[in-house]
Amino acid sequence: MEKGGKGFSLPTKTARKSSLKSTTTKQASLKGKDDSSAKSKRAMKVQFDVEGSLGKFETPLPKGDSSKWGKGDKTAKGGKGSVSKPPPPLELKIEQELPENVKCMMDCEAADILQGIQDQMTILSKDPEFKLPPSFDRGLLYAKRVDHYTNPPSVRQVLQTLKKYGVSDGEICVIANVCPELVDEVFALVPSLKNKRSKLSEPLKDVLVELAKLKKSTSLESQMKSAEAGNPGNVGGLGVVDL
Amino acid sequence: MFFHIVLERNMQLHPRHFGRNLRENLVSKLMKDVEGTCSGRHGFVVAITGIENVGKGLIRDGTGFVTFPVKYQCVVFRPFKGEILEAVVTMVNKMGFFAEAGPVQIFVSNHLIPDDMEFQSGDMPNYTTSDGSVKIQKDSEVRLKIIGTRVDATEIFCIGTIKDDFLGVINDPAAA
Repeated sequence: MEKGGKGFSLPTKTARKSSLKSTTTKQASLKGKDDSSAKSKRAMKVQFDVEGSLGKFETPLPKGDSSKWGKGDKTAKGGKGSVSKPPPPLELKIEQELPENVKCMMDCEAADILQGIQDQMTILSKDPEFKLPPSFDRGLLYAKRVDHYTNPPSVRQVLQTLKKYGVSDGEICVIANVCPELVDEVFALVPSLKNKRSKLSEPLKDVLVELAKLKKSTSLESQMKSAEAGNPGNVGGLGVVDL
Repeated sequence: MFFHIVLERNMQLHPRHFGRNLRENLVSKLMKDVEGTCSGRHGFVVAITGIENVGKGLIRDGTGFVTFPVKYQCVVFRPFKGEILEAVVTMVNKMGFFAEAGPVQIFVSNHLIPDDMEFQSGDMPNYTTSDGSVKIQKDSEVRLKIIGTRVDATEIFCIGTIKDDFLGVINDPAAA
């Protein structure tokens, strides 16, 4: 996936190297800016939207010249103070990265499906040799832990209304998984939505109100509830393999 | 994020598995072969949910093995750059901390932890704000953003950040 087999593509790399050579914050921050623009050319989609451009180019700057993070007093932390790259607007590009026959799932939907499979396994598995792999258990555990909602199909239904405003499936799933409370939270966490902010804010507010109604109240209660309800079965007509 | 996806695979089956249970044998071999594997394109294959189609078998020259093209639906888990995940912290050290979200490991370097959080060593190493109100230690749940991924034959490894708005600790086991 990454071009450099051995390392991660951390945007800080060049910024740090350069700032070691020149310690003046001004230069470092300039360098950081260059880095981000180079990066944006290569990998990031920078939007020159009427709304987006203002926010996109003005916000990284104050972070870059280190006023926001209060770096000045942290010089003892070995290099940490010299990292001055503005966080590039990292956007989610699920649709471009995956083949077409793919359907994004919300974590709550995945939790239901995986739980259904596990329940079947305990009944059907006659082959003692056959075992679900550890990644299945971890996946199920994870999906259950981050499952914030009582009823996945209605969550899907509520969020589906955002589709007509141009919100992609991937973005819908991230919103569902994050389970945000504020409209600002959504735009901060899913920056690709920022250029649709004006027309999205209102419907998004309504959606978040609806989502809040579908939320499980506490984790303990939800555990009890799911224990009572048992296996809710398959979501979206997905079959489970008969063995 | 979890995905539902249709994949195809050529399955080689030994003639001893032929007969009435051929399809069942094929499916259980597919599950053994595929579940738990991982690729950069699709991520972890967490579970097979259904078989779409088993094509016509082709006898391999020189052996008795028969190759069947099998189309199957499965649930995969793959992290994306820019995705927000909730992860459980597994280890904290002065370099940063490791967290886990499902089958995926995530490392958050101390450069990507807010600057007002300092590393505290001890029995329970942690990152704490100067006023002590926020603490990241083992078993803390954090909301983080993926900024880099690396795929191994058996593992997906990510770099994450909590140095942004609305990221950070969600619940603190020590406070509970």
